[in-house]
Amino acid sequence: MGTTAEYNATAGKVVIDEHQGHPGIKATTLDYGQINDEMLAMLDKPRPSYYLLLLGFLMALGLGALSLAIQVDVGIGYSGISHPIAWGFYITNFVFWIGIGHAGTLISAVFYLTRAPWRTAIYRSAEAMTVFAVMTAGLFPLLHTGRPWLAYWLIPYPNERMLWVNFKSPLVWDVFAVTTYMSVSIMFFMLGLIPDMAILRDEAIRKGKKLKALIYAPMALAWRGTNHQWIHYMRGYLIFAALATPLVFSVHSIVSWDFAMSSVPGWHTTIFAPYFVAGAIFSGLSMVMTVLIPMRAVFGLQDYITNHVIQSVSKMIIFTSMIVGYAYASEFFIGYYSGSPFERAIFYYRPFGEMESWTLLGENQINFPQIAFWLMVFCNVIAPIPLWRWKIRNNALAVWIITIFVNIGMWFERFNIVGSSLQHEYDPAAWGEYWPTVVEVGITVGSFGFFFTLFTLFAKSLPPMAIMELKEATNPPMRNAAKGH
Amino acid sequence: MKKGLSRRNLFKYVGAGSATAVVAGCENKPEKLIPMLVPPTDYEYTPQTAYQYMTTCRECDAACGMMVTTREHRAQKAEGNPNHPLNQGALCAKGQASLQTLYNPSRHAYPLADGKKIPWQEGLQQFSALTQTAAGAIAYLGKPAVGSEGDFLDEWLQAAGGGKRVDFELLSQNSQVEANQIAFNRADVPEYAFEKAGLILNFSADFLETWGNPVENARRFADMHAYQKGNKNKFVHISPHVSLTGAKADRWVVINPGTEGLVALAIAAVIQQENGSHTFLKAYLESYSPENVAEETGVSAEAIRGLAKEALEHGPLLAIGGGNVSATKQSVETLVAVNILNAVSGALDKTLRFYNQTAVKKSTHQDLLELISDLDAGKIKLLIIDDSNPVYALPPSMGFAEAIKKTFVVSLASQKSETTHEANLVLPALTAYESWGDAFPRSGVKSIQQPVMSAVNTFDAKAREDILINTVQSIDKTAFSGNSNYLDFLQDKWSKIQRELGDTRSFENFWISILENGGIYEKPKFARTALSRKVTAVKVSSPELVGQEGLTLLPTTSLLLGDGSGANKPWLQEVPNPMSQIVWDSWVEINPDTAQKLGINDRAIIEVKTPHGSVQATAYYHFGIHRDAIAIPMGQGHQHSGEVADGFGINVMQLLPGEFDNAGNLSFVGVQAELKLINEKSYTVNTDGNARQLGREIAAATTVEELAHPENHGSAHKRPTEFYPDRSETAGYYKPYRWGMTIDLDRCNGCSACVVACYAENNIPVVGKIRTAIGREMSWIRMERYIEGYGDDFETRFSPMLCQQCGNAGCETVCPVYATYHNPEGLNAMIYNRCVGTRYCSNNCAYKVRRFNWFNYEFPAPLDQQLNSTITTREVGVMEKCTFCVQRIKTAKYDAKDLSRDLEDGEVLTACQQTCPTKAITFGNLMDPESKVAKSALRETADKRDRQYEVLAELNYKPAITYLKKVNTREVLGHNSENHDSHQNSENHG
Repeated sequence: MGTTAEYNATAGKVVIDEHQGHPGIKATTLDYGQINDEMLAMLDKPRPSYYLLLLGFLMALGLGALSLAIQVDVGIGYSGISHPIAWGFYITNFVFWIGIGHAGTLISAVFYLTRAPWRTAIYRSAEAMTVFAVMTAGLFPLLHTGRPWLAYWLIPYPNERMLWVNFKSPLVWDVFAVTTYMSVSIMFFMLGLIPDMAILRDEAIRKGKKLKALIYAPMALAWRGTNHQWIHYMRGYLIFAALATPLVFSVHSIVSWDFAMSSVPGWHTTIFAPYFVAGAIFSGLSMVMTVLIPMRAVFGLQDYITNHVIQSVSKMIIFTSMIVGYAYASEFFIGYYSGSPFERAIFYYRPFGEMESWTLLGENQINFPQIAFWLMVFCNVIAPIPLWRWKIRNNALAVWIITIFVNIGMWFERFNIVGSSLQHEYDPAAWGEYWPTVVEVGITVGSFGFFFTLFTLFAKSLPPMAIMELKEATNPPMRNAAKGH
Repeated sequence: MKKGLSRRNLFKYVGAGSATAVVAGCENKPEKLIPMLVPPTDYEYTPQTAYQYMTTCRECDAACGMMVTTREHRAQKAEGNPNHPLNQGALCAKGQASLQTLYNPSRHAYPLADGKKIPWQEGLQQFSALTQTAAGAIAYLGKPAVGSEGDFLDEWLQAAGGGKRVDFELLSQNSQVEANQIAFNRADVPEYAFEKAGLILNFSADFLETWGNPVENARRFADMHAYQKGNKNKFVHISPHVSLTGAKADRWVVINPGTEGLVALAIAAVIQQENGSHTFLKAYLESYSPENVAEETGVSAEAIRGLAKEALEHGPLLAIGGGNVSATKQSVETLVAVNILNAVSGALDKTLRFYNQTAVKKSTHQDLLELISDLDAGKIKLLIIDDSNPVYALPPSMGFAEAIKKTFVVSLASQKSETTHEANLVLPALTAYESWGDAFPRSGVKSIQQPVMSAVNTFDAKAREDILINTVQSIDKTAFSGNSNYLDFLQDKWSKIQRELGDTRSFENFWISILENGGIYEKPKFARTALSRKVTAVKVSSPELVGQEGLTLLPTTSLLLGDGSGANKPWLQEVPNPMSQIVWDSWVEINPDTAQKLGINDRAIIEVKTPHGSVQATAYYHFGIHRDAIAIPMGQGHQHSGEVADGFGINVMQLLPGEFDNAGNLSFVGVQAELKLINEKSYTVNTDGNARQLGREIAAATTVEELAHPENHGSAHKRPTEFYPDRSETAGYYKPYRWGMTIDLDRCNGCSACVVACYAENNIPVVGKIRTAIGREMSWIRMERYIEGYGDDFETRFSPMLCQQCGNAGCETVCPVYATYHNPEGLNAMIYNRCVGTRYCSNNCAYKVRRFNWFNYEFPAPLDQQLNSTITTREVGVMEKCTFCVQRIKTAKYDAKDLSRDLEDGEVLTACQQTCPTKAITFGNLMDPESKVAKSALRETADKRDRQYEVLAELNYKPAITYLKKVNTREVLGHNSENHDSHQNSENHG
């Protein structure tokens, strides 16, 4: 590794930094003390605007909780899901949040193994997002069931009722996939936190803040930073990264099989696993950008989350956008090529609505699925196209706007898959329409509230960037001197 | 069920006899629950055991025999009496729903005086006092007497000092009777021997819905019309409107409203010319030659000649007329014309046979008008009304509602209605389930109506006849020769019947045998009939309804709600009308061509205005209506008939003038309506997702020609070779039973009796209009209606869709908790308690027959007493669906096990199969090659299959239900039609 390459936004040139460090992360030219101070400053007492933001998210969460309470009390019938659209917003949200949860592990584990250096500044936040997103996602399969209080029946454990789960059901695979993913990502997250927790613990002790020390100390697991500990830690981290990597691909593949294993036209397709994984990475990375770009502005983290990082993520977004776009096209082609009238019908329905010949007299109606479809195509395939231009990629605001589009688009992609296919299945007499109710929208808003509340709390209680990895990437304090700079 | 009396049934009936004696004896005491721990000692009774009682259905005057299953002293299921010659075990939707007459929450629970609750004693005293003072000026307005109650009421009126009795029946056959009197000198309704006909020409009669006995008609019609051994007889519907009956027709001949008679005579003219019969008609008929009537009727002369040719070639002919749609002011003439056609074609005494009897004369709507003028003149001091609802049903212009304000009205009704709302004194009557009665619906059939349970405990009601006896005896102790209740009166009558029969048993034995059988069924005696020469005096002309301003209003009868008496029954509101698939509402059927000209969209709210009133209802596009007419079904628009009926839809009778035909029957057709668009969208709820099946062959049809070439269809049914062995080769499965079903779509006419029967048998909750709007209906059977073709050349197909009990089911594999699994007898069993409610099974069910409990549904008391106690109700969050009435299978299996044998074919009947009037549904063990179902499904001999198909067979779900294709006699240009090239390129014709 030779020199640090920095992109100069105004000049549009690559400026070669003399100092060693990770390319594109300016902060790696800082010294340990600076990094320490700046990172710890992020955890200082928040400004009132922080509380205001938190209150907003808490209100959203409260709305969700209230909606959920009503639904559990009265029955799942308070939602708009019905016959034949038995899965609606909830499963859409589930798949969406699981998808969001992909970026963290991808960045922290996969990019760790592939040695993508720009991950350093963002992986902690991304990992936190993973944990929170999977927590959010995990709520939905529970609250969408008719009898959520019996959801534990999906877990195979020896019980006095002599009951067992059906291992043929993709929903059971789902339980395993999601819970495994969740536990591994939480453990991976906690593992990565250990050295930083030690820093926080020490800082708290130094400042005499006993309560903080009491909280951080157990999480630091008596970390002292000895060579011995570092050796074990690094091996452990590598093993976890290797463990987590397949999960990145397995969890969303299995989620996709919830659909692909069924016989529903529009669901029953082999492309789903790669399609879902690409979509998950797409949406996950977009969400990372959506969250981190404002955070960068608020905390002034331009030295850490540099334009180079944003550019790198943008490239991944373009790449996955193309995969997703290809998958859309492929679905249509296979729909046509299969010759199956059912497949053809659903792929006609998604973009164009009822075909004239389907109706009594040939009237064409545009419904919610058509809106969802075109939003999906616009947001996921068309909106990211500007990212091909360097100037756009280098403009944090532009990237932020585009990633918001992608988030919206990916939500509608999930809806497009879940909601529209069920509306037009095999028997036309049992076709139906789906419109969400206030309760569903409330719970959906609540899920965003839940996620962002957790993330907002995270941003002020745990270091949102991996202090120790940043330090690792910088030149050791004495080395520059030794080299004679 | 096997014919004859099995040992098992014998015991049941004997039990029934003794039980009813006890029930009858206990009067109206509040019902007692009998706990398991203290078994009753007074008679043999086993909890959880079904006792079946024979009685008579009184929902309409067809009077079908009914067998009511009671458990724990509660009527839980109504079925047709299998011994009864009219309905032979079947019941229509209304009959199935008669349980909700019994348990209807909107029944009167206590006597009311001017709307206020009063004790019975006071009510009876008031009634007696009134009867005494009003002697001679009493009128009794009630349903037409079809049994001994006619004599009873006459005797009562006599004892009470005289008065008159007027029948009220909105959909009466008086015009028919009058026309028969003119044409054949027989004031009676004949037997229509559908099964003997080679061709049916139907002039607007809705014989599968409300005309005559629809259950009997449906069975006999299916016997004639269904495909049998390469042959299929034709049925041509000649009408301005395609009703459910018309939908079953091979061809629809569109005629101008009110011109049925002219078409009939024109056909008769051609036939007479050809066969030379009835020469006295020659001159008469010549004036009605096809060419002469072509313009007025809107049917070309060639078409009429074509029909006549068919009648000559494919005879014997049966021409049927009547019903609302042809009920113009010239209804009698129209029916005479139809009679002439029958006579000329030689149908008389073959397909149309008159009974050797003198029919009871029923009073007409004209008599009712006289009653109204008597009321207006103050000549009537006391008006007694039974469960009839004339205030609702009569056109307001007749002034009935105003007239009854001038007298004292005593209502002896069980159900709340607009009429009881107006009544001064309401004395709640018992329903037919709780009281004695009888009915003689036709020659040779005498049907008994016995209480099958003691009165429902939430209603403090008394038998109507007993109230009357009590009243009159308080004036004159000797009235009714001292008989203190109606049962005694009835037994007197039946002992007379016994004497007439020459039955020498003791009366007690005779009586018990009547109760066991449900009545006496003798072969009817027919009398030879000839066409009267006087018919030439009858002048048939066109009412010239077409071409006037506005559209001719056709009030149509509703198969489910009838004349409105069904509207307070949740089942009948919830079950979609088979033609429009609309629930809980009224609609205006309008031809799309007309509607588009007027700028009215499908489902727009329009105002329909006639000189007599105006209503607002939803426009419903229907190809099957004349372009210058609109049709509105009757039966909705109630105001005081209880929660279930009030406020839904509109009452079409408000648009009609109080005009009559020559028979004194209301003329329903003749008024022109103006339409005005009110709103583009309406809140009308229909249950069909799409009216077209897009060539997916859900409800498949074939043609007679195709069936004649077996080489064309055999290979299509070959199953793919599979790697895994079939379940039948797997240990533990299908030994000895694999339950299966066949549904013959050529016999099915969409009457939806099966749907109601399923609601009754399986404790399926009713969810109401708003929930149905978002797909929350719970029905386990869906009567699917698909429309093929466009314009006048359209076809309607019906297909009952229920759980297919797939051998390779989609639902089973995806359930994470095994709440649904394949049971060893081939059922997709459903364990409600195990269900978590992921609803994946519903998503993965290609047939979409699973229903989810979105809420905890209520069965408002006392409807909960109807719940089948052999199965559960389901709680919120649980999936449910059809399991071929698994409770019936279990019960039958236990009984067979007691006798150490396997079940025999036909021992288990599913509720839908049991009630199907046309026997379209066959159920049984597919593993028994001798069973009926195996023979009709032809599963093992795929090459022999002709009409058999499985819905969505390409999915390889291996459904246990085999459908038999509907057989058409013509090729309907579906949506691939050449006339609609624009639809040709659709992607969905794989």
